[in-house]
Amino acid sequence: MKNKNTLPWVFLAPAMVVLAVLALVPTVCAIVISFEDRELSRPDGNFVGFDNYLALFSDRRFVNAITVSLSWEVITVGFTMLIAVGLGILLFECVSRRTRNILALLFIVPVILPRVSAAFVWKFAFHPLYGIATYPYKAITGQPLDLLSNPLTALGTVALVDVWQWGLFFSVIVLKLLETLPPQPFEAARLDHARTWEVYGYVALPMLKAPLISLAFVKMIESLRAFDLIYVMTRGGPGISTETLDMYAFSQGFIESGRISYASGMAVLMMIATSLAFTVIWKRAKI
Amino acid sequence: MSGRSIGRLAGRAILLLAAFSAVFPAFWTALNAFKNRVDIVTPTPLFIFTPTLDNFAYVLGRDSVFDGLFNSLVTSGAAVLIGAVLGLPAAYATARHPNRWSKDIQFFVLSLRFLPPVAVAIPLMVIWLQLELYDTRLSLIITYTLLTLATVVWLSVPAFARVPKEVEEAARVDGYGPYAIFFLIALPIASRSLIGAVAFAFVLVWNEFLIALMLTTSDAKTLPIVASELTQLGRDVPWGILNASVVLLSIPPLLFIGVLSGMLNSAFKRKSS
Repeated sequence: MKNKNTLPWVFLAPAMVVLAVLALVPTVCAIVISFEDRELSRPDGNFVGFDNYLALFSDRRFVNAITVSLSWEVITVGFTMLIAVGLGILLFECVSRRTRNILALLFIVPVILPRVSAAFVWKFAFHPLYGIATYPYKAITGQPLDLLSNPLTALGTVALVDVWQWGLFFSVIVLKLLETLPPQPFEAARLDHARTWEVYGYVALPMLKAPLISLAFVKMIESLRAFDLIYVMTRGGPGISTETLDMYAFSQGFIESGRISYASGMAVLMMIATSLAFTVIWKRAKI
Repeated sequence: MSGRSIGRLAGRAILLLAAFSAVFPAFWTALNAFKNRVDIVTPTPLFIFTPTLDNFAYVLGRDSVFDGLFNSLVTSGAAVLIGAVLGLPAAYATARHPNRWSKDIQFFVLSLRFLPPVAVAIPLMVIWLQLELYDTRLSLIITYTLLTLATVVWLSVPAFARVPKEVEEAARVDGYGPYAIFFLIALPIASRSLIGAVAFAFVLVWNEFLIALMLTTSDAKTLPIVASELTQLGRDVPWGILNASVVLLSIPPLLFIGVLSGMLNSAFKRKSS
């Protein structure tokens, strides 16, 4: 029976050591760099204490990036969940099992596409002169429609691509969740002459509260990784209207001035904020 | 009753529209990849045109694209392999031999997903520069292992937990040791979900952009970076070539669509019964 005790260690230790090293080294390093004044052109930095952090709070673009990131989270998580629940119910309610499976396969396509591909596909579709998505508007009004160059619509247009990728995929998951529910409560509700929306609003969705919250949680984490979409579609523009925190950190650290330490300070703040927020949500929701 | 059937009809129409929106953009891109520039840059979208293979020939003929494809295959493949070799046993140990840290381990693994990619990429760039490993496939593989390993563990724990305990007990009674049970019983039974988890990890690193953008400049550039740079070839955007490279970039993950939908099905089916 000696073997019985070795397996957990032999199996767990290598993975945990690798993960811990790979995660902790950059994290500690990011914190150290954020207290220095390193730049891309000058690799050796001096210790400057909290200067980078203090500078951040009087930086108008940083405050703007926080606003953009928060709106991005709210828009993409909100609409993804709305579409997921809506389409998931329609899939469950309106079509046969066979059609369901075919549609489910099609709905997974967008999320599997690399984000860079998805971004190009839609960037071209929204092209004011040659785009297929803007063509109907152009045909009717005779005016080109340039959604990505307009500060008012750019963020929403990029968000649409994100929701397209995740909302359709999540609707398949909602469908699978609905399929796992026991049928009796549905039948009971129908016998009581409940309308369809009442069956879902009062019976089905409350039963799925926990998995739906974890879905939203996954999407919140995933929405933070929108860099590639924004990088390809707008590069943070027009102006700074789609500049999220990671986009701003990237351009401060690499494109514009090479201020690695300043960018690192931003990244550390993001790390603290997301870890705190998600840990609280995770413990609260007890997913 | 008629109200309900009208509702059902409307629901079907919405679903049809959603399915159309899911597939049409990708289909349109694939179509454009076979068009000459004049057929793309038209005031009215063209469905009927003389197809050409020039775009694909150009893309595949460019050294940068070919190198990018090679780098993507090597880095994603190696990182997924390491992730699976280390991750599957770790997931099994967490699922089947729980101890007082199991919950914390699962949370730790999930919490790696919270790390903003910029926060990881900036210090790693500094570290790889100092080790003189910057812009190498090796440094990218090591970095990506963080991604694949965490993903494999995260998705495989529930897959192993769904293997019926009775089967493992029976094997133990038959004299199998714990390692034999893992390799000969648990691994084969859970294989469908596990392949899905590994495929998901592959799709994730294949599609990864920000880390590759910051950790490579020329030698180790992956395909997503090369594709994103094709737009900057000049003032005249080479739309056909761009569409062709987008298609090329999307093929490998799309090959896994059956595996991934199989994983979804088994993930939800077993839980209910």
